[in-house]
Amino acid sequence: MVMAGSGTGGARSARRARFVPIWALLLGALVVALIGTFPYYAGDSSYLLLLLGKFLCFAIFALSIDLIWGFTGILSLGQAVYFGIGAYFVALSLKINYALEHPTRYGNKFPDFMEWNGLKELPGFMTPLISTPLAVLCAVAIPTFLAFIFGVITFKRHIYGVYCAVITLAESLILQEFIIEYQAYTGGFNGITDYSNYVGAPFLWFILAVTVAFFLIARALTHSRIGTVLKAIRDNDVRAEFMGYNVANYRIFVFCVSAFMSAAAGALYAAWVGIVSFLDAGPVFSVEGVIWTAVGGRATLIGPFLGAFLVRGLEFLLSSSWLANYWQFFMGILFIAVVLWIPDGLVGTLGGWLRKRRRGTLEQIREEQDLLARDRQRDWEPAGAPKAGEETV
Amino acid sequence: MTQALISQFLIGFSVAAILVIGAIGLAVIFGVAGVINMAHGQFIMVGAYTAAVVGQLGGNTFLAIPVAFVVVALLGLVVERGIIQWIYDRPLETLLATWGVGIILEVLMKVIFGPELYYVGAPRILDGGVRFIGRLPYPYYRLFLIGLAAVMVLATLYLIFRTDFGLKVRAVRRNRAMAGCLGIDTARIDMLIFMYGSGLAGIAGAVLAPIKSVSTTMGFSYAVGSYMVIVLGGVGNLLGVPTGGFLIGEGETLLAYKFNSVIGQLLVFVAIVIAIRVFPRGIFGYHERR
Repeated sequence: MVMAGSGTGGARSARRARFVPIWALLLGALVVALIGTFPYYAGDSSYLLLLLGKFLCFAIFALSIDLIWGFTGILSLGQAVYFGIGAYFVALSLKINYALEHPTRYGNKFPDFMEWNGLKELPGFMTPLISTPLAVLCAVAIPTFLAFIFGVITFKRHIYGVYCAVITLAESLILQEFIIEYQAYTGGFNGITDYSNYVGAPFLWFILAVTVAFFLIARALTHSRIGTVLKAIRDNDVRAEFMGYNVANYRIFVFCVSAFMSAAAGALYAAWVGIVSFLDAGPVFSVEGVIWTAVGGRATLIGPFLGAFLVRGLEFLLSSSWLANYWQFFMGILFIAVVLWIPDGLVGTLGGWLRKRRRGTLEQIREEQDLLARDRQRDWEPAGAPKAGEETV
Repeated sequence: MTQALISQFLIGFSVAAILVIGAIGLAVIFGVAGVINMAHGQFIMVGAYTAAVVGQLGGNTFLAIPVAFVVVALLGLVVERGIIQWIYDRPLETLLATWGVGIILEVLMKVIFGPELYYVGAPRILDGGVRFIGRLPYPYYRLFLIGLAAVMVLATLYLIFRTDFGLKVRAVRRNRAMAGCLGIDTARIDMLIFMYGSGLAGIAGAVLAPIKSVSTTMGFSYAVGSYMVIVLGGVGNLLGVPTGGFLIGEGETLLAYKFNSVIGQLLVFVAIVIAIRVFPRGIFGYHERR
């Protein structure tokens, strides 16, 4: 018994992730340092600083999609639902607090968009949001809970793949329409604006810390036993089920983790940018997150970060040129190109290419391939038939 | 009260007809090829613009229907040959690629036709309405939509169950590898069925143009409605589309009458999610062998 225990322990340690190479650690530290010191050489109020914090939030969002899509194979086209709910909770709380100190034109101490829509006072169910910590708690807890309910309903009944994608898409569309319709409580088309946001070095460091923490959590998760099971589910869920794993529970778990990360990204986004609109909860934003992940490389952890920064950065560069009106067009081309030609994304393709290079010279690879081919042929041939490469005289 | 309810019920019937018209093309493609066309809404939009052009040239909806069918079927041919044929084995990525197609179509149509809205009149014969109950007349055009939905479903049923082509389609759907071994060109079947489904989307656009202003973004909400119809009705049997369309159309209309349209949509969505817990592959779904 003791022997068996130590045996599995040994096997587990052997399966543990490879040691992180020193250059990766250094590179990561360099990137973090570059982002962290950005306020010093760019100025505290520059537009680029705002953009940087925004991109970090988008990168977390893409990472959350990567966890469910890249590692588990659940394509959700409605992940912005969780991002949006998180963002709206924080934005509402900040707006309410802002209104307490800055009365509206008629001297009322509640958000101006509620006044425009004919409310006389802050609705009772919103009063708890005056406490910002509580709002932040709601912003991450409620989406996670919603994701749990959604997961229990769908994954427990083996609803996945295209069905899941379509249902989540509809979810996102409905939330968007809900926000527009109930403008007295959500700001409607205009969204929630004009509240004191937290642009500046300290909050950038906070976002950066959260980003790094989520990255490490994601790494620990995907390199653990759970991560191995998740990948098994992605590659062949029926086989994973037959091997005794409760596929539905694993799916629900990772879906909740992902929703938690999305919601946190949304909460940070709202506090950083100072404007939240229905677009941040809509289907277009959801799909955009998926495409960032696809461009960067799904099933890699760097991919979502790279994808979010590259695509969003490109959009920023193009939107100031004459191409601005056709940006959407390039986005469409990008979707198709990534799916057709680089389905593994930039990081995945590059990584595969490097791995192939490292395996040896062309001669060695060819020899290896020959051996493999010979083995394969042997399996096909009937006993007694001449072997491949054998002289038959 | 009952009168209002009955008239709402009748309106819901026409909403259901619109959903069926939009969803039938999608259901055919999804049922056979197993891919969902995320550009379906934009295909509907192209059909509507085709109807607008036909209208400007002096034609009416009856002329626009075949023209839109051909135009959008050709568009489907281009998309299928250019993109989808390479990724049939990756259905989730088909979603992304066709989403890209949708974006490109929206930009292209905006470049060609400009940002302004187009209005297409209903044919003269279908002006006015018949008074079933209460004060408000029931427009002839809505009756026409209900009839058209029935015709489209019946025509598709005929095509699938009474023609040679349909026999091959059913064979491919049941067992693709075996059908291929028996000499059926499965890639060609996929292509033709995609063209047919796209053409049906074109018809949907042509007949929806008179009841909604034609713009580049008109298609998306119809497309989502169509996806919901498929999810609820299932694709195992073509009767799933009318069933799903009827349930969703009536549900949304009656709930919108009781509360408002957003609450109606929300409740219907919740009902759909609960319903697929009972029928994971839709009401008429079959449990696919994997």
